[in-house]
Amino acid sequence: MPTEPLQPFAPPSGFPLHLAISTGALVGWILAAVFLFWALYTLVAIYHWIRYSHAARVAYPAIAVHLGVSFGIALYALSGALLP
Amino acid sequence: MIFPMNLTKEFELEPGESVLREARKHWLLFAMELLPYAIIAIIPLVLPRLLLLAPPLAPYAGAIDYREPLARAALGVWWLATWTAAWGAYTRYYLNVWVVTNKRIVAVTQHGYFDRQVSSVLLNRVQDVTTAVAGVLPSLLHIGNISVQSAGAVDEFHMNGIGEPESMRDLILAEVGADSKNPVI
Repeated sequence: MPTEPLQPFAPPSGFPLHLAISTGALVGWILAAVFLFWALYTLVAIYHWIRYSHAARVAYPAIAVHLGVSFGIALYALSGALLP
Repeated sequence: MIFPMNLTKEFELEPGESVLREARKHWLLFAMELLPYAIIAIIPLVLPRLLLLAPPLAPYAGAIDYREPLARAALGVWWLATWTAAWGAYTRYYLNVWVVTNKRIVAVTQHGYFDRQVSSVLLNRVQDVTTAVAGVLPSLLHIGNISVQSAGAVDEFHMNGIGEPESMRDLILAEVGADSKNPVI
């Protein structure tokens, strides 16, 4: 058993501080994850709209409205110049 | 066209078969389903004022400023999620449908994405059609439930919250009568 007292933890010297995640990068990753989820959900829903013929009458207008509103919201979200 | 045309048919109509009516849940009931999404959408807008009502949280009210890029992005994500969920609700609402033809009743039940049930009963198997309208508002707006009892393996078909259920019942009974007068040889 070592008899020396425990030393307080210290980060290793030469730690690559440039790898630390910046707020801007974190926000970018979160927005990308949200977009990916939105895209998957939208694709699944569009598949269901188009798959069933009895829905065809309103399928394309419904899809167009969804895409239009979604892109409008996305533009608003990014209008604060969060991303370069 | 992304999807081949042969995938766009839910069920094939037989020769001489025609669709008489499609029925979905009443639009008012669907509008009430959308109410929670509307409330969720406006929560961020009223949040600063709500925080002012709670003294310990009041100092945080000033920190929410949607002119700031980060707050605006958060609000956009919130609205995008809410809108997409509401649109999904509309999709499921529209895909749940009863189709009455001159030969059968087809009940399409979309429990969720990739969870779909399509049942049909031939009109000559129908034994009883029951409608129920309960409550003041449903009575005024003619919203009710309809059940069709058949002699098949699926004993009963239900559709809840449709408009004019009596009209649907009369249509089904009329077609049952017409179908029994023209038996398949």
